Amino acid sequence: MTRLLLSEVLNMDNKLNPHSAVFDSPRKPVVIRLEDIFKVYGIGNTEVRALNGVNLIVEEGEYCSIMGASGSGKSTAMNIIGCLDRPTSGHYYLDGVDVSALADSELARIRNLKIGFVFQQFHLLAQLTALENVMLPMVYAGIPNAERRERATAALKRVGLENRLNNKPNQLSGGQQQRVAIARAIVNKPVLVLADEPTGALDSRTTQEVMDIFTELNTSGITVVMVTHEPEVARLTKRIVWFRDGEVIQSHVTPQEITQMAVS
Amino acid sequence: MDLIESIKMAGTTLVANKLRSSLTMLGIIIGNASVIAMVGIGQGAQRLASEQFESLGPNLLFIVPGSQETRGRTLNLPKTLVLADADAIANQVPSVREVAPQINSRLLVTYRNRNTNSSITGTTPNFLAVRSFDVARGRFITNLDLERNKQVVALGADLAEKLFGNTDPIGQTMRIKNASFLVIGVMEPKGAVLGDNQDDTAFIPLTTMANRIMGRTSPYGLELTFISATAKNQDSIGAAQFQIENLLRLRHKITDEDDFTVRTQKDVLKIVGTITGGLTLLLAAIAAISLLVGGIGVMNIMLVSVTERTQEIGLRKAIGAQERDILIQFLIEAVILSAAGGIIGTGLGISVIQLVAMVGPLKAGISPVAILLSVSVSGGIGLFFGVVPARRAAKLDPIVALRSA
Repeated sequence: MTRLLLSEVLNMDNKLNPHSAVFDSPRKPVVIRLEDIFKVYGIGNTEVRALNGVNLIVEEGEYCSIMGASGSGKSTAMNIIGCLDRPTSGHYYLDGVDVSALADSELARIRNLKIGFVFQQFHLLAQLTALENVMLPMVYAGIPNAERRERATAALKRVGLENRLNNKPNQLSGGQQQRVAIARAIVNKPVLVLADEPTGALDSRTTQEVMDIFTELNTSGITVVMVTHEPEVARLTKRIVWFRDGEVIQSHVTPQEITQMAVS
Repeated sequence: MDLIESIKMAGTTLVANKLRSSLTMLGIIIGNASVIAMVGIGQGAQRLASEQFESLGPNLLFIVPGSQETRGRTLNLPKTLVLADADAIANQVPSVREVAPQINSRLLVTYRNRNTNSSITGTTPNFLAVRSFDVARGRFITNLDLERNKQVVALGADLAEKLFGNTDPIGQTMRIKNASFLVIGVMEPKGAVLGDNQDDTAFIPLTTMANRIMGRTSPYGLELTFISATAKNQDSIGAAQFQIENLLRLRHKITDEDDFTVRTQKDVLKIVGTITGGLTLLLAAIAAISLLVGGIGVMNIMLVSVTERTQEIGLRKAIGAQERDILIQFLIEAVILSAAGGIIGTGLGISVIQLVAMVGPLKAGISPVAILLSVSVSGGIGLFFGVVPARRAAKLDPIVALRSA
């Protein structure tokens, strides 16, 4: 329903990419398709290639973590996948729609309806209650108040915070705050939940708590992609993508390989 | 996102920062209160002046010696306006109903051991009608008093009170500059005109004033301080002014510059209006500057707020807020701050006006135009000074904004 609406709104050409035959396993719909993505900062002699020809496919229902050393380009890739940034060249199809050259306002709409963000620092608004924080994406989506309340309550219930609806963020623990943020990420029924170091600010116990929720979400069919530098966190996901020097050097790292990848 | 949602959101933010919001509003509150109060008081002063001049009497004209240019410079020259002029005006000018010539001076008046410096007016019985004075008790000067240079006096209400206290002044004898006078009447209170208390005055016959008190005669005749005259009706004021001017020019054999000036009440009112209007404008301008400063305060705080809330803005944009949404949110915050400041300031201004009206004679007006203007101006100021911070917020790059610590 949402997808159809969006492509109508944007009047986008939704036909299959002619290059799709190049890539394998067309069994499931593809959520993320990055094709020769370059991201170049600066010009002339000071040119820095943050992404140097990235190709990546993430199918619906995948549970994927992106790893790599700092400066490997994983954050830049994350920004592009999250439609917060545009590639210098190359194509990015999100849910079948080429978003690589859309205007800011169209990208904002896509972020609103198709992507759920979870950040390391939670980024909850301090003056709003947990419920109001979760309702916020729906405010920008123009959903009526009653439905907002209902869906936000359901989302908070899903992350186990039905008793904390009216608490402000400063009345919640770190783990609870991150759970509110996850509820906010899923409340608009996105095609993709994108988490940037979601456990970076949490201790090991709450890390497990939050990862359990991501796993549960994925089990229910939601596509989850997270950037992390913690091997223990990455091991909990089903697929690990490794970045180095602006390129994907391994798109299916096994948990055993992590240590080896990290030192090489 | 709709407007109601934006207003709610802005309200939540403003309430969350109560101290800052109220301090920001303070500038606008003071600015608005001063605009309303200053304009109100200025208008009150104008109205007071008009009322006072109208209380002088209807359809009044004043003939004063000296031209517009020489008045004030020719302090001790012989007065060019004489009693014969007043008689001529009364007899020969068709548009004039009545004429009251006057000789004024400030002199020492004494009753037993009390004395005071008061305004002494030598005049004729016509004065009552021309200047709309009434006698409270006793009588006013009569033609007989005039003919016989009688030393009789009618006292203004305040002067009677000052000299005689509880004693009934009528029938008592008092002194004006060493001559003794019989008190024949007390006037009704009349009030002050531009600080000149008309009730602190003693009225004596014109002839007595000239012959017994002043003791000085100009080469032209019995010199007068000024002449008050009434026109037949409101429409004939202009005609009366013209006719008096022509008559006096003939009588004074004037070829170039007039040695007298005829002023209508309207002229005087216009002069007063110009002065008080200028004063009002000055006050309003000063107040408007403080309103402007308040607006700049709003902009300043909003800019700080944008810097402080960079992460919030980044988050909002990341989860789907359009640039427009952010712009509107910050604009509304600025407008709410200044409009609320405007309303509170208006309330304060009105209270100041009412306080002034309560303690003083100034019947200060609460001008709906001024209120409407200042509230919408403050709203406009919020809008104007909110644009720069709001645009800055809307243009923030969400990636940079989210990363800022």
